[in-house]
Amino acid sequence: MNIPLVLNRRNRILLKELTKTDFKLRYQGSVLGYLWALLRPLMMFAILYIVFAKLLKIGGDIPHYPVYLLCGTTMWSFFTECTSQGIQAVVARGDLLRKISFPKYIVVVSATLTAVINMLINLVVIIIFALINGVSPDWSWLLTIPAILELYILSLGIAFLLGSINVKYRDITSIWDVFVQALFYTIPIIYPISMVADTSTTAAKIILLNPIAQTIQDIRFSLITHDSITTWNYISNPLVITPIIITLSILIFGALSFRKKSKFFAEEV
Amino acid sequence: MKQPIGHRTEINDNKNDTAIKVENLHKSFKLPTEQAFGLKQAIFNRLRGVKGYTEQKVLKGLNFEIKKGEFVGIVGRNGSGKSTLLKILAGIYYPEKGDITINGSLIPFIELGVGFNPELTGRENVYLNGALLGFSNEEMNKMYNDIWKFAELEQFQDQKLKNYSSGMQVRLAFSIAIRAKGNILLLDEVLAVGDAAFQQKCNDYFESLKEQNQTVILVTHSMENVTRFCTRGILIENGKIIKDGDPKEVANHYTKMFIHNN
Repeated sequence: MNIPLVLNRRNRILLKELTKTDFKLRYQGSVLGYLWALLRPLMMFAILYIVFAKLLKIGGDIPHYPVYLLCGTTMWSFFTECTSQGIQAVVARGDLLRKISFPKYIVVVSATLTAVINMLINLVVIIIFALINGVSPDWSWLLTIPAILELYILSLGIAFLLGSINVKYRDITSIWDVFVQALFYTIPIIYPISMVADTSTTAAKIILLNPIAQTIQDIRFSLITHDSITTWNYISNPLVITPIIITLSILIFGALSFRKKSKFFAEEV
Repeated sequence: MKQPIGHRTEINDNKNDTAIKVENLHKSFKLPTEQAFGLKQAIFNRLRGVKGYTEQKVLKGLNFEIKKGEFVGIVGRNGSGKSTLLKILAGIYYPEKGDITINGSLIPFIELGVGFNPELTGRENVYLNGALLGFSNEEMNKMYNDIWKFAELEQFQDQKLKNYSSGMQVRLAFSIAIRAKGNILLLDEVLAVGDAAFQQKCNDYFESLKEQNQTVILVTHSMENVTRFCTRGILIENGKIIKDGDPKEVANHYTKMFIHNN
């Protein structure tokens, strides 16, 4: 994997075609087809909204709470889809790896790009909902770009790291599924972070050091309401850069592990 | 995990008349003994001090050099290491020890129709398979009609591949594969399929490769093909080259190996 060769012509063609195929196959044979890319997260949101906002009456004091919630669930789905598809990519594309020679990271990237496309479609829906809800467009909307990029880099790093182990030990897929379930409750998606902050500021600060929580709060801050608590406005010591450090270390460590193990993928998969 | 110390280098030297050079190539595979898959077994094995695999040496020091324009037939029994050699040349497996130099662009056909997906239409599969061979969308657009014409399947373009017979799938795959242009072609048993009419097309294709002085490496069990198309034969037995030279002699030697055994 020489750096100059990373995106040469052939690899670009491959990446494009594999991503297209992944996306097509995902919704193959369903009546509503691509519409599911939209419907699934919207339905998930409807369930969470009814349970948490209407029945449990959480989040009443947050402006535009429904969009705020939708934004959180969408970004969370993006993270879970990206990681679970990315982790399984090498195994899922084993037939290709055994028959042609190409940089193996391409299958991981193409699997995660499908999640990126889904997320971008949903982002459009969020923006429409936000406008309907009375959020006015703002230059700060542009700040969602680096936040989404950070979340993607984190997901890609996890996909490389665990995906390279998953080739030999398929247990990783199951472990990750359970882990993600647990992780969900540690991140302020369905509950507002202010609820935690009311009882313990330390707990809230620890939660905000998680890069997933940090990026989701950043996106909410820049897109929906500046009242959102973010890592940057809530933590005032040098620890504030922890999420960035975690993200970059996982990417570097993941890429190195993947590169080292990828030589044997064709034999082991 | 032990890192391989072999090297595979690709160069592009027009003055050099060597197409492929293989020096002291070794390769072995770790075959899991009992159920060594999964985390649980890996931990058990570690605790009990069991390795959990046996090492099988597949290639034991191969040396050969192929000149440009040679049509080389690689023959040998099942499990002799032919396909492993081809996969190492293609860059799919890593050489464990030894040096490989590839001079020029190399097109491997380990199997026809790589990436074919039964849920996609014929059209979508053609573009996907083409991309795997390195063709861009625009290049595919140009040759799209020729591919279907040659495969004689024009009326099935928009059918899903799962509705094709296996013979039709092979015809389509072959029709895409022959568009690939490279300095060196690696072919693994692609001739083994299809009806008489398709066999004829394959033979014509090989004939044309031979006429163009294309460098070809063909792994095959058909001695007829070796004597008909090849300018050189290499016989591999037990991971070693036991005969290298005139295709007729190699074919005879190979056939005798079986008579001897019975």
